[in-house]
Amino acid sequence: MSSWLDYTINGLIVGNVYALVAVGLALIFGVSRLINFAQGSIYLVGAYIGWVAVVQLHTPLPLTIIVVAAAAAVVGLIIERFGLRPLQNSVRIAPLLATIGISFVLDQLVMLTFSPNPRALPSQLPDVRFQLGGGTIGPLDLLIAGVGITSALLLFVFLRYSKLGWAVRAASQDRDAAMQMGVDVNRVNQAVFGIAAALGGVSGMLVGMYYNQIDTAMSLQATLKGVVAEVVGGAGNVPGAVIGSLLLGLVESYGVAVFGTSYRNLFAFLLLVVVLVLRPNGLFASARQAPPEPLTGTFIAPSRPVRIPRWALAVAAAGFAILPFFPVSFYVLQTLINAWLLGMLALSLTLVAGTMGQVSLGHAALLAIGAYTSALLSLTLSVPVGLAVIGGGLVSAALGTLLISPSFRLRGHYVSIATLAIGEIVSLVILNWESVTRGPIGISGIPPLSLFGYDLISPTSIYWFSFAVMVVLALLQGRLLGSHLGRSFRAIRDDDIAARAYGLSLNRYKSLAFIFGGFAAGVSGGIAAHLYSYINHETFNTQQSILALTVVILGGLGNVVGAIVGSVALVGLPEVFRIAAEYRILIYGIVLLLLVRFRPQGLLGTI
Amino acid sequence: MAEQLHAMLSLRGLTRRFGGLTAVDAIDLDLARGELISIIGPNGAGKTTLFNLVTGLDRPDAGTVRFEGQDITGLSPERLAAEGIARTFQLGRVFGNLSVMDNVLIGAHTRLRAVKPAVPVIGPLLELGLALLRPSSVKAEEERLREEVRAILARFGERLLPRIDQPAYSLSYANRRRVEIARALALKPRLLLLDEPTAGMNPTETAEMQALVAELKAEGLTILLIEHKLEMVMRLSDRVIVMDEGKKIAEGPGEQVRTDPKVIEAYLGHGLSGAAEQESAA
Amino acid sequence: MTTSAPEPLLALSNVNTFYGQAQVHFDLSITVARGHIVCLLGGNASGKSTTMKIILGLVKPRSGEVTFDGASLIGLSTPQIVRRGIASVPEARRLFADMSVRENILMGAFVRNDRDAVAQDLDRMLTLFPKLGQRLSQRAGSLSGGEQQMVAMARALMSRPRMIVMDEPTMGLSPLYVDRVLELIRAINQEGVSVFMVEQNASLALEIAHEAYVLQTGKIVLSGSARALKDDPRVRDAYLGGSEAA
Ligand SMILES: Nc1ncnc2c1ncn2[C@@H]1O[C@H](COP(=O)(O)OP(=O)(O)OP(=O)(O)O)[C@@H](O)[C@H]1O
Ligand SMILES: Nc1ncnc2c1ncn2[C@@H]1O[C@H](COP(=O)(O)OP(=O)(O)OP(=O)(O)O)[C@@H](O)[C@H]1O
Ligand SMILES: [Mg+2]
Ligand SMILES: [Mg+2]
Repeated sequence: MSSWLDYTINGLIVGNVYALVAVGLALIFGVSRLINFAQGSIYLVGAYIGWVAVVQLHTPLPLTIIVVAAAAAVVGLIIERFGLRPLQNSVRIAPLLATIGISFVLDQLVMLTFSPNPRALPSQLPDVRFQLGGGTIGPLDLLIAGVGITSALLLFVFLRYSKLGWAVRAASQDRDAAMQMGVDVNRVNQAVFGIAAALGGVSGMLVGMYYNQIDTAMSLQATLKGVVAEVVGGAGNVPGAVIGSLLLGLVESYGVAVFGTSYRNLFAFLLLVVVLVLRPNGLFASARQAPPEPLTGTFIAPSRPVRIPRWALAVAAAGFAILPFFPVSFYVLQTLINAWLLGMLALSLTLVAGTMGQVSLGHAALLAIGAYTSALLSLTLSVPVGLAVIGGGLVSAALGTLLISPSFRLRGHYVSIATLAIGEIVSLVILNWESVTRGPIGISGIPPLSLFGYDLISPTSIYWFSFAVMVVLALLQGRLLGSHLGRSFRAIRDDDIAARAYGLSLNRYKSLAFIFGGFAAGVSGGIAAHLYSYINHETFNTQQSILALTVVILGGLGNVVGAIVGSVALVGLPEVFRIAAEYRILIYGIVLLLLVRFRPQGLLGTI
Repeated sequence: MAEQLHAMLSLRGLTRRFGGLTAVDAIDLDLARGELISIIGPNGAGKTTLFNLVTGLDRPDAGTVRFEGQDITGLSPERLAAEGIARTFQLGRVFGNLSVMDNVLIGAHTRLRAVKPAVPVIGPLLELGLALLRPSSVKAEEERLREEVRAILARFGERLLPRIDQPAYSLSYANRRRVEIARALALKPRLLLLDEPTAGMNPTETAEMQALVAELKAEGLTILLIEHKLEMVMRLSDRVIVMDEGKKIAEGPGEQVRTDPKVIEAYLGHGLSGAAEQESAA
Repeated sequence: MTTSAPEPLLALSNVNTFYGQAQVHFDLSITVARGHIVCLLGGNASGKSTTMKIILGLVKPRSGEVTFDGASLIGLSTPQIVRRGIASVPEARRLFADMSVRENILMGAFVRNDRDAVAQDLDRMLTLFPKLGQRLSQRAGSLSGGEQQMVAMARALMSRPRMIVMDEPTMGLSPLYVDRVLELIRAINQEGVSVFMVEQNASLALEIAHEAYVLQTGKIVLSGSARALKDDPRVRDAYLGGSEAA
């Protein structure tokens, strides 16, 4: 059984690495109630600055650490200044989105500066290894453990016992009240972001040395693992984050031992979902309590949605409907088709995230379910494509709702994290369930769209088809919002306790929102599958979920017309300006940032 | 005994502990249909906790709650709302971004019939379908409820009606509390629990609220009231229950309780406000 | 105004406040003399809490001037204003829900650096509110309504302010504690702290106040010495529960 000991040691070593990111995340969450999605990017920046220092400037290790910490701290201050401070009075998810936008920008900048190719980052520590069980540990392992545990302890003591630490916590709980105590909230946030970023940067460098390799993909991976570990330990709980990280390392290590490497992430996310379901506030949160009455308003930013008269909408719709009669290029139609498909996804997301308040970061999973269902129905069961697409919508509605249902008990950012994990789980299941999904090979030869036996192959017919489907979905959603369901969804969003006390079952209404939204997203995925004719587990990825969220924010949370306007803008503008593909993510990031900064309620306003 | 037979709500040995503290300690209570009982007691006596136990927001560690003869201990709040139990919250929990109208309409949620047919299993899907199709029965129901809401808001004079389309977050504190009471009334409750309905109101406004509660009582509503404003308690209550440190220390008609030395010791004191209460009569 | 009023500590002059299009204050002018207790009366939605927010810099007036100790507060941030010596008991308490009672109370002393004196003051608060002594390590969010109100009061006193603004400091308190808090306000006032408070328990408030203002839909309609206002039939009808009150 000595191999189990090895897996345990290996798990703890990896967990140790995760802890570095998780502690930084926990610190920031402790202050600003914000899950900083840019933490992974800081980590990336730290790794590359470390590379420059070590490989090009040949700095000694202590100096390297200082340089990296200082540079990363500057990045942290920038994030605080532009990602957080301006957004203090806007929608609650605005800062979260801002950090996502910042992470896009940072990752892309690093990629453009250093190219996406991996680089070696040599360790500057002596290469001695101690035998331990069947594995070895070296000085770097110890340094990583030392940094992780020391910083966790220091931060814990800081938050609990120092005056600034108290100020930090007070500000995170009630900003106005903290100011009335004389707390300069901005100063506090600056300090914390600086510290957390310095820590994040140093961790990126150490981990780069550990694997002797750095590349731009490490950012997202680090964020995901750090977030999982942090939430498992209880968001904002610094020692919890360390324990969560070790646990995560162990679970992954054992999972890999039993099932193989491609299951590593699956286990990470399953751990997260299980913990969230069983202990919604993390492993170390206190037990059952009647929820207190809110001491502060949790209201979304006051805004007056822009009212667009019906006739104007009708005119616009008619304009788009007759567009193919004008001499427009194939390229324009193609772009708009993409916009309509994204629009369907955005409709779905604006309902669950905006109206229902369940900010889903795994929405692309619904696309994937719809796409695979529709593709497989038409390929293996020869179901007519039109019906297969509807089947994709229905399966996505049913299965998606079922999969997301564990998150129904959660609130706020926990929902985002859970849906992120669920989305990853779906894509990993698609990857590993080869007998049905054909695994990494993907599905090819998916038949083209057809309706009543007529193939829709010309761009014009595809354009009309997707436009019509989107318009129908939008009209239905508009009706939904005007009904008692729209009101019930929004009531649950504002105060789920009061909603329950007035007879609204959270499971029932969250399910209904996801059923409706799942259908729209599934149909979008189904159509996409038949357009692309080839799909695999990466066709619908996290980036798409985040793009959809950007669209939703751009249009205004919960705003149906806004979702469509946002889709056209985000798909269309890069085309209009002929922006090269590698800069697009950068542009999305910048758009997102400008938007949450200057019009957090979206172009057309939150509803 | 007669009370027990007709009791609408009866609590037996209801207990809730938080760590070492027993916030509600073996409380027995019988509330007859149409009765108004006030619960008074010093801060931290366990009054709000008792409300939470009755409305399903919290579960007792021991004891039972019976409502209309049925054991409802530990049922979910949404079930209890459907049974006709409505409450207001001490600090206020309005839906900030919903208009006053929508806030109060949520109160009527359990009374939706046309759009929410009581069909098992596929009920929710039917609800979704009906909400989308909106047949005339559904429209009529919605319209009728909106009328009712206007009538309920009219009971608060000109305080809420002119603000009917404003989001609740833009109301002043006391008006948010009024919206909450309106929301509770929209449920057409069989049992209404009011947690300090007059907090944040001056004596004149308190008198206004007192008149409203008196009206509700005259209409036959059964009410449990938590209040610190003694004059109001004395005028409205059929019986008063005094809690201290989780226990019931006195029970009976208002005047009797008021002169009970234990109550004076634990709750009333002898100072300024006793005198002021006399003055604030309406 | 009373003739013997000493120099003003806090003065609002011709303040106009808006929420979006809606005007809440119309040329509001209020002065709080050094060492006095001034009470603001008014019906619900008349703009009392907004007045408090103006003083604390949480809401910016569209026009008008606010001065404290002769210097303008306009344009200062809330922490800056607080550091000049103004403490507040906010409407609906606004405690730090996830922090302990002890931490909440000590947060009130955030602007102070004299540790020993702070510890003494904490003890003093616990003698004033013995109830809180048993609850020191409980999460503030799980306190009862009245207990929270006590914490909010204790927290405000911890900063040793020159002036304290209170928005309904007795809300949710049992009669025993209403008395105690009003006595306390009088006591701290005698120690030299000026007080500006909104209080719905108007007859009691007028009992301890020096001056009072009556606000009606954003306009000051009456002002003067508390004693005079207490006997004014208009005040009695509108705020003290009717004319039969004696
Ligand atoms: N979750 C909790 N954990 C620990 N103690 C709690 C919790 N909830 C309530 N308490 C304590 O239980 C006691 C009863 O609280 P409750 O809110 O029922 O008082 P109350 O009678 O409503 O008082 P008030 O008049 O001040 O509103 C209080 O001392 C309170 O601190
Ligand atoms: N954030 C806001 N947006 C729009 N209107 C607001 C906002 N806050 C308050 N108001 C409005 O301003 C007016 C004054 O409100 P304020 O809270 O100052 O009243 P108040 O006198 O303190 O009332 P109460 O006795 O109920 O506490 C009210 O009409 C209220 O609806
Ligand atoms: Mg209470
Ligand atoms: Mg107020």
